[in-house]
Amino acid sequence: MISRSELNVLMDREPKFDDIMISFRAIAKQPKGINKELKQVIAIARKFNEEVIRPGSLALDRKMHETPDHLAWDYVREANKRGFYTMFIPKMFGGEGYSLTAVAYFLEELSSSCGAVANIVGVHYLGIVMMFSSWNLKICNRICADVIKGQKNGEPCLLSLAMTEPDAGTDSQNVEFMDTGSLACHAQKVKGGYKVTGNKIFISMGHMSTWHIVHAYTDLKRGSDNTVMLAVKKGTQGFSFGKKEKKMGQKACPASELIFKDCVIPDENVCFSKEDMAKLKRRVKDTNAQVFAYIWAASRTSVGAFGVGTARAAFEEALDYATKTMIDGQRLVDHEWCQSLLGDMYKNVLLSRLAYTEAGYANGLHGIWMVMNVKPMYLMNRYLPKALISWFMKPFLNLGLTTTVFRKICFDMQSDDAVNRVDGWGSFAKVVGTDAGIQNARLAMEIMGHAGVRQDRRVEKILRDSKLFQIYEGTNEINRLNLFKRLVAKALPQTEVFSETNP
Amino acid sequence: MTESAHKEIKMIEKAAREFSKKVLAPEREENDAFPFGPFFNTALEKAYGLDFFHLNLPENLGGMGQSIRALCRVMDQICREDSSLGGIIFTNTLSQSILLETGSESRLQSLAEKATGVFDFIVAFPSLTNPHDLTDLPKAQVKNDVFTLSGHLDYLVLGGMAKQAIIPACIDGNKEYSLFLVNLDSPDVVRSEPIMSHGLHACPAVDVTFSFAEGFLLGEAGKGDGYFTKASETMQLAASAMLLGVMKGSWDEAMSYCGSRVQGGRKLKDWSTMQMKLADMVIQVHVADMLVERACQAVENQEKDWQNLVKAAAFHIQSAATQLVTEGIQALGGVGYMKDFGQEKRFRDAGQIQTMLGHTHIKKLRFIKQFLN
Repeated sequence: MISRSELNVLMDREPKFDDIMISFRAIAKQPKGINKELKQVIAIARKFNEEVIRPGSLALDRKMHETPDHLAWDYVREANKRGFYTMFIPKMFGGEGYSLTAVAYFLEELSSSCGAVANIVGVHYLGIVMMFSSWNLKICNRICADVIKGQKNGEPCLLSLAMTEPDAGTDSQNVEFMDTGSLACHAQKVKGGYKVTGNKIFISMGHMSTWHIVHAYTDLKRGSDNTVMLAVKKGTQGFSFGKKEKKMGQKACPASELIFKDCVIPDENVCFSKEDMAKLKRRVKDTNAQVFAYIWAASRTSVGAFGVGTARAAFEEALDYATKTMIDGQRLVDHEWCQSLLGDMYKNVLLSRLAYTEAGYANGLHGIWMVMNVKPMYLMNRYLPKALISWFMKPFLNLGLTTTVFRKICFDMQSDDAVNRVDGWGSFAKVVGTDAGIQNARLAMEIMGHAGVRQDRRVEKILRDSKLFQIYEGTNEINRLNLFKRLVAKALPQTEVFSETNP
Repeated sequence: MTESAHKEIKMIEKAAREFSKKVLAPEREENDAFPFGPFFNTALEKAYGLDFFHLNLPENLGGMGQSIRALCRVMDQICREDSSLGGIIFTNTLSQSILLETGSESRLQSLAEKATGVFDFIVAFPSLTNPHDLTDLPKAQVKNDVFTLSGHLDYLVLGGMAKQAIIPACIDGNKEYSLFLVNLDSPDVVRSEPIMSHGLHACPAVDVTFSFAEGFLLGEAGKGDGYFTKASETMQLAASAMLLGVMKGSWDEAMSYCGSRVQGGRKLKDWSTMQMKLADMVIQVHVADMLVERACQAVENQEKDWQNLVKAAAFHIQSAATQLVTEGIQALGGVGYMKDFGQEKRFRDAGQIQTMLGHTHIKKLRFIKQFLN
């Protein structure tokens, strides 16, 4: 009916099959064990929800209203005790080695009980992802060892991601804006490292993290070519915490200011520098953009899952209310109009879960956990004892050559199409999931009427928590543009995105 | 409307604007901290002194005898900066309207004459609900012509600070509810701590339990729904004006921020995506403004079908406001989520105001049924 060459030509036309049918390709390549892992992590999260989050999250939110400076260490310690901060770290780095594909499903579950506590766990993996996006395996190995040690000794060792600056939100998160933006966190090359001066703001879990993965710039006017990724440990001279923001929701997850004043970061804590990027095949600016694509594709997929969690929570609260409330002599849930609204809310949950699932497949095929999803790596990581893997891999991880090889594989062998796909689907998942969260929370408030505005009925908190998901990790406005850029404009040679000259 | 009435409303509106800017705006964040921070007594007393609580009360009862338009203008101005005070004025005016509907002028006059301050004057009411939709209303028993109330009532707005409240309750053997004036300081009334709510933090509500608390029947027994419906027909417009004020405040702050914040080397206002967002916002502000004005006109002229015009305006504005305040935060990005700016409070307040006078969807169903029947 159709020749192979004809099929290839037709499938390569826009929209390209490989761009829009991610799951068809990914499922065939996906190791079977991942399904079992998904069930396990969801079950672990549900148990945590039942035992810890549901009984305490409203009281925690209330406490945060009352004493905004409170830090929810109880929850962090409990999550640490249960191994949540190590479970998705690959075994070769000492972690439990659950597949990173499963992270989003885990976070959706937590978020379905409390967006803030979900962040207390999830933000750590944001820092992990940023660190791994440098593919500096020596540093990854060392810092992961701290996290593992923190779990064992009961002193949680968390990571944070630090990009946003007081005058540079979008500017600091997109390579396209860096050179015209207002970057201010300066990294001066000094003997043996970098001297950093400047502030970072809105850093989730900043006050509670031990390691901060920080972007600074050796030339503030040309940040796109001069970004350096640094690992900064709490207690480093010249580094301190500033204020904690007073947020509308997600109060248990602090948004912190990080202050750097002549803070010297030694070479051993430089994750990725301009000089490192220059060794790769793309221009430095393009490699820098690849780093961002790795980070955002993974983190925005997870934020999409957070959004789905809150959309689901809102649906479940509304459903519960509707089954227990009588209106005009009938249970609310028996009113057809209410069933229609609840159906719409459930649709939002299902659709947005599909969105992040597809984005997860993109990450597995082309993104940050591509390497770990290759079957031999997956099987080794999943089924060999941790001690054996650690004994075998550790010497290699500390070799500069291993980092070089991994960078060649992950940057030079990643095609432009792959970068577009993974980054575009990440934005898609984020926008769809977080918009669903807000839509469902609003609908739940409407269904519940005056009961919905009470904090002790949970749904108003869900609405407050949901709103942040539309903002951080790039506003949804930026993500819509990025989606257009990565999945649509790539096929329009004359079309530039993020460079409008609006008359 | 006469020229002098027009001028009078302009003066009242100006007073509300100045009050809003000078008294409410600077303390917005602190006032919003309630119940975990102090209550804004001083601002409330000032508002009382400016007669914002007497606007619709007839002159012969010690009020200003103003129209719904005057109330709407005041609500608009106040809610641009802080809707909590708007919520207090709204609830109290609703209570006054119900008292008037029930023919309780003498009670109102007595309240106005005896009050030495705002807390003596205000009357609590569950203004976020339509009592008809509540199950398990308190029960009322009559013995020797004295009514006593027993049972529980959720979310009595101003119940923690007012000395009296209008309480819906069902008299034994009567299916329809009646309205009672109850002394909240009575030992037979137990009030909860202020309820932590989504918005309007400084317009607090409490849950109340009655144990044979004496209540004075307002109007006729079993006619509570009729009185409430009559009062709420007009007051729905005041709730719309509150949302209009919230929308204007959100729009003002979005414009101000986008005019100064630079990202990607240009001001946010110069991004065409942001221009579209701001355009959507201002279109809705203008539409809501026109709807409120047109509805006021319909009420004042007692046009045929004015009730439906008011309801239609309210439904539209409710929907537009919740969307607009969401975009109002987006326009500011991360700082829009923080308490340093007013947007997050407007986001919450709009959600709360939307629920005033009962479930939106139930109201909408009743609205269409009158056409279908």
